[in-house]
Amino acid sequence: MTLPHVISDDAYKELEEAVGKDNVSREPAVLDGYAWQPTINDDPAKWVKRPVAVVLPGSTEEVQEVVRVCNRHGLKFKAFSTGWGVYSGPTYDNVVQIDLRRMNRILDIDEKNLIVVVEPYVCGAQLQAEAMKRGLNCHIIGAGPVCSPLASATSGWGVGWDGIYMSYGHRNLLGAEWVLPNGELLRVGSCDSGLGWFSPDGPGPSLRGLMRGSSGALSGLGVFTKCALKLYEWPGPPQIKVDGLLLDAKAEIPDNIRFHLCFFPDRKRLADAVYDIGEAEIGYLATRTSVASFIYTFAPHLLRNIAKTVTFRALLSRGLKWGFAIMLVGASRDEIEYQEAVLRAIISEHKGLSIETMQIIPIGSMMLMNFLRVTAIPLVFRMGGLFSTALDRNDTWDSQLDWAEVGERIKSKWIDRGGILDDLADNPFMALYESNMWAHCEEIFQYDARDPKHLASLEPMFIEFSIAAIERSMEPFSSTDYRMRKLVSPLMGNYNEWQKKISESFDPSRAADTGMYCDEMDFDFSKIEPELRARLNRIVEKFKWTEDGPPS
Amino acid sequence: MALSNYRRDMEGCSRCSSCKWVPFNQIKSWQFAKNCPSICRYNFHAYSGSGRMIIGLSMLEGRSELNDTVAEIIYKCQLCGACDTACKVYRDDIDLTEVLLELRAHCVEQGYLMLEHMALIDSLKREDNVLGEPKEKRGEWADGLPLIDINTERCEVLFHAGCRYSYDPELRETVRGAAMLLIEAGLRVGIAGREESCCGGRAYELGYRGEAENYAEDILSRVKASGAKMLVTPCADGYAHFKYLYPRMGKEIPCEVLHITQLLERLIREGRLRFREEVPLLLTYHDPCHLGRMGEPFLIDWKGNKLERPMSLKRAGRKGEYEAPRNIIRALPGAELVEMERIREYAWCCGAGGGVWEAFPEFATWTARERIEEAIATGADGLVTACPWCVSVLREASREMGTDFPVYDVVEMALKSVGLPETARA
Repeated sequence: MTLPHVISDDAYKELEEAVGKDNVSREPAVLDGYAWQPTINDDPAKWVKRPVAVVLPGSTEEVQEVVRVCNRHGLKFKAFSTGWGVYSGPTYDNVVQIDLRRMNRILDIDEKNLIVVVEPYVCGAQLQAEAMKRGLNCHIIGAGPVCSPLASATSGWGVGWDGIYMSYGHRNLLGAEWVLPNGELLRVGSCDSGLGWFSPDGPGPSLRGLMRGSSGALSGLGVFTKCALKLYEWPGPPQIKVDGLLLDAKAEIPDNIRFHLCFFPDRKRLADAVYDIGEAEIGYLATRTSVASFIYTFAPHLLRNIAKTVTFRALLSRGLKWGFAIMLVGASRDEIEYQEAVLRAIISEHKGLSIETMQIIPIGSMMLMNFLRVTAIPLVFRMGGLFSTALDRNDTWDSQLDWAEVGERIKSKWIDRGGILDDLADNPFMALYESNMWAHCEEIFQYDARDPKHLASLEPMFIEFSIAAIERSMEPFSSTDYRMRKLVSPLMGNYNEWQKKISESFDPSRAADTGMYCDEMDFDFSKIEPELRARLNRIVEKFKWTEDGPPS
Repeated sequence: MALSNYRRDMEGCSRCSSCKWVPFNQIKSWQFAKNCPSICRYNFHAYSGSGRMIIGLSMLEGRSELNDTVAEIIYKCQLCGACDTACKVYRDDIDLTEVLLELRAHCVEQGYLMLEHMALIDSLKREDNVLGEPKEKRGEWADGLPLIDINTERCEVLFHAGCRYSYDPELRETVRGAAMLLIEAGLRVGIAGREESCCGGRAYELGYRGEAENYAEDILSRVKASGAKMLVTPCADGYAHFKYLYPRMGKEIPCEVLHITQLLERLIREGRLRFREEVPLLLTYHDPCHLGRMGEPFLIDWKGNKLERPMSLKRAGRKGEYEAPRNIIRALPGAELVEMERIREYAWCCGAGGGVWEAFPEFATWTARERIEEAIATGADGLVTACPWCVSVLREASREMGTDFPVYDVVEMALKSVGLPETARA
């Protein structure tokens, strides 16, 4: 354990002057609150680099001053909003962690123009609660209602079950206030021209591509202190009355909402049905699901027993495999009846069946809030304490179903080896975007970090997932993992060389922590089977770009 | 137990931050979405349930050390249990409150003590109460009331007033009224009077476990000697300790244990207590942590892998007492109950618990002020609660805010409607 990297007294004093003495700390135990980042972290240690100090700025000006202090003293900064996941933590030894939780206001809800302006520490559940009072709704990402809508829109990902209706995080971005790595302030979009927040691309600078690229710079290019987001129609009640906390929930279910669990006899029928749903432009929330994934989420004790029973295992793994969950929300009785009639016709045409769960009160209540507010998502931690995800990518719906099957095969092997928990393997997180032709898939697996066998499996399993992705010309979580980035960038037009150039231009004194943005590192290939390594080498040699351009 | 016994709980923390929020299904607004006074007041992650678990893990792994600053972080927490409830919505394998308690015991073992808490423990040792008041005055609250002295006679119902009710002059009418309501209902009620001692729960919460065990022994022997079939207390703290802490220490009370609101509700239901006068008020109810989520009975000390612990043995706050005080309010002629946003298992704390009011009074009233604001937002005429600590700190906050927003004990409301007997007046 090589811990003590300390901040100089001078630098610390300047941080105190920037944010006030009560809002800065270098107490090791406090700092470790920022160094423990086990979620989506395949390092068995689970501790990331300990920051040298943590600050709690209360305004944009204070953020700017903190960044300037870092520039003056050769320190790096790393900001987070709600701090969910390993991406939030430092990756260098000399990092000042900027915890934005004091910047927590909803600044404006423009009901007429469907725009909200928020600060970083507003969470999805808060924003939705306020939006619904006004007949509006907001996109909530798959990581759950605890996460910051600003963070996913400006700096990370924004994928969720409501994508069919409310798209994804950065597509909803309508402008941002951005503290650059040198402390300067830049406003992106129409807000810079004093015309309000209606457009991210002007009048005013439009730098969305540089600002966040595909997956966000995760504080590697500065700090976002405000942003505007698009809101959507919510024709339900201002507040859904729910008794109970989650599994015991009893909700007053509005009569303009239906939730169908649909099952199809095979993969092709499921795929075709979902394309038809997209063409019909119905649905408010939707995802592919399997009964096994519901059981693992809501009843892991039961799943542990079922997993030992060959008959049930087969029934769940194969008989109820091709499932799809969809919530319909109508603005009127006629509309909900129309949507439901269309859905039933599509299901029937593709030989499927469906259960309308809103009529089954205990299940309907759970599903209503689980899907609308994504409240059940943290149950992903329940089975073993931690989970991780691989093969994150976006592509056509059809190919995503292929991808889920690849993930299932890899997972099955590791389940058999005892390397991860047994969730019957088929457990992809899938979401649809807008008209359903484009979709997201990532393979979820659960493990217990207190089990050494599970810890030892993480990196080799991740490499195996990655190789499988590369073999299929897919983008395997490359934008955020510095090992994947190094491996994949040469196969994808050396994209990371461009990211590095952007980083150098915006951040000449290298003050931002770029670990999650454009840094590179090697995998530990000694942990994988030689045959896998050989497969990988063959692909890299064949497809890597040279200085002259793409491979022939 | 030792901190290392909770290593799996601490290592299990996914740092998802659910512990900082009202369970997400129940978030109704931006303003009242948070559940933990400590992280809301001090902001660093270390002040959350998760952050304190990480502190414990960090110390166990030798990454950081206990010092005065860290001890203060550990003690700037009301032990209200809101983080635990929120965590357990999703997790079966983490007993967050247990970790927080263990951290305090660790502080005491290592000699990192809060001066104010030392004074409290000193008062306990000398005077058998946590308020620094003389022992000989403990029974004065009951002067003139027709109560049985259990030191000389056996009784049907043993009434344990608790430290705050025994000494706080502002609460005297309430505690006398509580006893009188039971007598009015025909119960043979006994008290230990001067010999009543603290339940010891506060000592346990501060990490002084030996002292807590001694007081549990004392109470236990007194209950046995009284022959009581029922132990009833108006003190929510005492109630929680009798229901949870005592059995956990292997000192189960050998009779039925009720909070005063549970007994009053029963008496109303059985027709033995009748409300007569109108109480034309719109009231909101504050769930005391120790009557609600922290008052959930002890179930079992699960020794195995907590991931496999049956749901029925998970202590998640659901079995706390939420309905009895509400039913009393609903039974008041003319009164109407309006709920705040954060109620029941996810109620916001009053701020007084866990030794915070003694050591960090500004933080205690800061917390209480937020609750008063939430109560005012309902449009209620007043806030009703069922714990002397909650009543006192909420009244203090209301005074500080200059709102004059009334704070009542449920017993006060019952007395208004039953008609306060002259003998109950202080």
